[in-house]
This record gives sequence, structure tokens and C-alpha cells, in this order.
Amino acid sequence: MPQSVLAVRRLVVAYGDRLAVDGVSFDVQPSEIFGLLGPNGAGKTSTLSAVEGLLRPRSGSVTVGGVDVQRDSGRAKALIGAQLQASSFQPELTIEEIVRLYAGLYGVPLSRRDVLGRIRYIGLGDQAGKRFKSLSGGQQQRLSLLIAVIHRPILLLLDEPTAGLDPQSRRQLWDRIEQLRADGSSIVLTTHSMEEAQSVCSRVAIIDRGRLLALDTPAGLIRQHRDDPRVRQAAYGEITLEDVFIGLTGSAIRD
Amino acid sequence: MTRTTGAHRERTARQFRGLMFSSLLRADFTVLLRSGQTLILNVAVPILYLVITNLHSASRRGGSIYGSPEFAIGLALTVGLMFSALMGYSVAIARDRDMGVFQRLRVTPAPTWAIMASRFVVQLAVGFAMAVIVVVVGGILHSVVYDPVEYLLFALVSVLGGAMFLAIGQAIVGLVSSFAVVNAISRGICIALLLLGLLGSSGILGDAVRSVADWTPVGALINLSVGALNPSAWDWTATSGLIATLGYAIVGVSIGIRWFRWESH
Repeated sequence: MPQSVLAVRRLVVAYGDRLAVDGVSFDVQPSEIFGLLGPNGAGKTSTLSAVEGLLRPRSGSVTVGGVDVQRDSGRAKALIGAQLQASSFQPELTIEEIVRLYAGLYGVPLSRRDVLGRIRYIGLGDQAGKRFKSLSGGQQQRLSLLIAVIHRPILLLLDEPTAGLDPQSRRQLWDRIEQLRADGSSIVLTTHSMEEAQSVCSRVAIIDRGRLLALDTPAGLIRQHRDDPRVRQAAYGEITLEDVFIGLTGSAIRD
Repeated sequence: MTRTTGAHRERTARQFRGLMFSSLLRADFTVLLRSGQTLILNVAVPILYLVITNLHSASRRGGSIYGSPEFAIGLALTVGLMFSALMGYSVAIARDRDMGVFQRLRVTPAPTWAIMASRFVVQLAVGFAMAVIVVVVGGILHSVVYDPVEYLLFALVSVLGGAMFLAIGQAIVGLVSSFAVVNAISRGICIALLLLGLLGSSGILGDAVRSVADWTPVGALINLSVGALNPSAWDWTATSGLIATLGYAIVGVSIGIRWFRWESH
């Protein structure tokens, strides 16, 4: 069996007395698209933040490509590409300057021609001199993704990558993600769209209140839980991943 | 063979660190120079102070309003450094933290100290450039010529003063997480320090207030600047200015590092 690209073991993340992640464990295999699903406040972003090395877990371990994220944060981060939900770039910088900055931060020496070539590749060639804020949502996502993979990471973390995108931009983004997977990157993503998760993810983990409730392929999860009364109650017709999700996490709205 | 591999790895790591830090510096310089407010705070405001003090000096025919040309130049330097640190640096840090700029930078392999050090270095460099402009323009306006040692001492004072105000700005963003509150507090502190330091150090409000004002960041840096531009007359006031400036810098950095949070939420 090949070595896991990402190994999360008994991860516990706490903010003061509140446990955000409570003993979560999972592995992500090479060239896998792994979905992390859960209602708001379930612990998805906290899990990703621990993987990214942005916060120190109370206990447990995270290794990326065999490198411990806590012990060797710099090396681990060099193996990870991340597109974060609530992040931005310096508003004073142009697209070209942003790409150049992040290439440098990942240790990728790029000439101006290389930088412009990459910007052209994502269809923003005529926007290179513009500021990030002047781009549309879809363009911003394309740029964020370009920066996340500028150093060819083995693991790509995407926190709700399609949130707020129109169908065209969403489709384009999935094509790009699929291409990255085909090129050998493993992808971990969070999403609230169960349809997307069902159609693109190799495996999904459902977490709620910081705990891992289920982990399998979308088809496997549906098969395992199709006779669960909570799932049947949530279903309108043929059982879908969304029915399983609602059945396991409940239908109460989370803020 | 092992030694060669080790040396190669070390060279690669050094090149990587160099590329990373130069990329940060270039970006931070670009951001700073592209901000019109920063240029105004850093250069225009100190020059304006020099011109105003020079006009008063001419109209009173007895030297500048608060005494010597050194006082006017020291005041201009202090005002420039304070405004750019408290209203430029701390507000920019709070804004970037609020927008998630730091979060984006922190997922890269760049160490957090480098992210912050780059901003400090850029601010100090711009403060240094401002000090050179201030002392040259001040010298011309007040018809004073300084010798190289005095220029050198003044340059050192500008770096020390810049570090002090940046440390105070860092302490503010360390203790306060909200961008709006940092903005309001920085402006409030700026005005309070300026009034206390300026009016107090001038002696207008009496000796008691003056002795208090001499120990404020503004008063301390003005006194230190006066001492640097006239080292032959260095006295306890200049020494106390040096002690206070170092003290504020150390305390501010300690608070700013200990309590700083990379996220505002």
C-alpha cells in the first residue's frame, strides 16, 4: 500500500474549553480527492487549519508526505498548497506582483516572462497589471488556485472552493482540480454542496461537533446507510449523499 | 560525498531563504510606496512642520518657536516617525489581519518572524530616508550645517525612534484585535502623545508637565534628537531621552510579540 499523502491521527483542536475537533483520524491517498463534509461549526476549517499548520492542536498528529506538520512546519508547508476561505492578498499589489511574491515565498524563482505566462494560462493575461479586488469572484478563485499550486504541492487543501461561484466558473474550477489530481496531487476539500462531493470526491468524511461520523466513498456511504431510519426520513426519493449527510448530522440549522 | 550533499543542501536552503525574504521585502516596499497616505505621513508632514517652524522663527527673529533648529528638526522627525508607525504601520497590520492577508502568508513556508520582520525593516528604511530628508531640509531652512558625526548620530536616532514607535504600534495591534478599534486608538494615542510631548517639552505648561513630557515617547525622541544634532552639549535630558526611547521600544516589542494574534476572529 502506498504511503499516505496526509495522515491525521487522533487530532484534537480546542479553543479554550470548547473542543472544535475531537479525536479525528483519517488518511488521504495519492491522487485522491477527499471531501470533508459537515455542517457549519462542525470542525472542518479547524481540521484544515491544523493540517496547514495555522493552529497548534491540543493533541494528535498530522503528517504530510511523512513530514510532521508540528515538528517541521516549514518543510510540511512546502508540500502543501492551500486555498483558504477567509483569506486575501495585499490590496495594493497587482496580480503580477502577487504571483511573483508567492512564487518567491515557496522558493520558486520565476522570471517576469514565467510569471506572465502563468497568469495567461489561467486566462488573466490582460489583467496582470490590475489589483486583486478588481477581479470577479471566478477570476479571484482562479488566481488563488494558481498560487496554491505554484510550487507543485503533493497535497492541495481547498476550503469551500466553489462558494459564491456561478455555474461556469464552478465547472471550470472542477476541470482544473481534476487536472491537478490527474497530474498527481491529492486534494482535500470542504464543501456544502453534497452533489459536488458525490460527483467529484473519491472518498468523503462526514464530521459533526468535532467528531468523525462516517468515512467511505460516496457510493459506499449511501450503501451503508440506506436502511438507517434517519436517512430514510431525510430522503425524498432515491437515497443520495445529501440524505445520508442530513440523516447523520440532523436537520437543525447551524449558524 | 555526504559533506558535499550537506553543503549543497545548505546552499539551497540559503538561496531559498534569500528568495523568500527578498520577495517579502519587495512586496512590502511596493505596498508602502503605493500608499499615498504613508508618503504624506512620512515626508510631507515633517517637511510641513519644518516650514512652519521656520516661518515662526523668521517672524519672531529670535530663533524657532520652541528654541533651537535642533528642536524643530527633532520634532519633525518625531512627528513623521510617530504618524507613519501609529497611523500607517499599526493600521495596516490590523487591516491585513482582518482581511486574512496574514493567514494567506502563513500557509507558505515563510516563517512568521520573517513576515513581520520584513514589514519592520521596510518601515525603518522609509523612516531612515525621511530622517535624511528632514535633516537636510531642516538644515537648509534653518541655515545650519551639521558635521558628519552629527548626521550619523541623527541617522542612528531615526532608526531607534522608528523602532520605538513601531514597537508601540505593534503593542497596540497585539492588545487590540479589531481593525476599527486599532484605527481609533492609534489616532487617539497619536494626538495625545503629540500634544503632551509637544506642549509639555516646550515648557509652555510649566516645569512639572515638562519633566513628565520629557519621558513620553515624543518628548524623549525630541530630546534625543537634539542631543544627537549637538553632541557637544549632550546632557542628562538627552540621556534620559535615550533611556526612555530604548525602554518604550523594548516594552512595546515584548507586549506586541507576546499578545499578537495572527487572526482577528
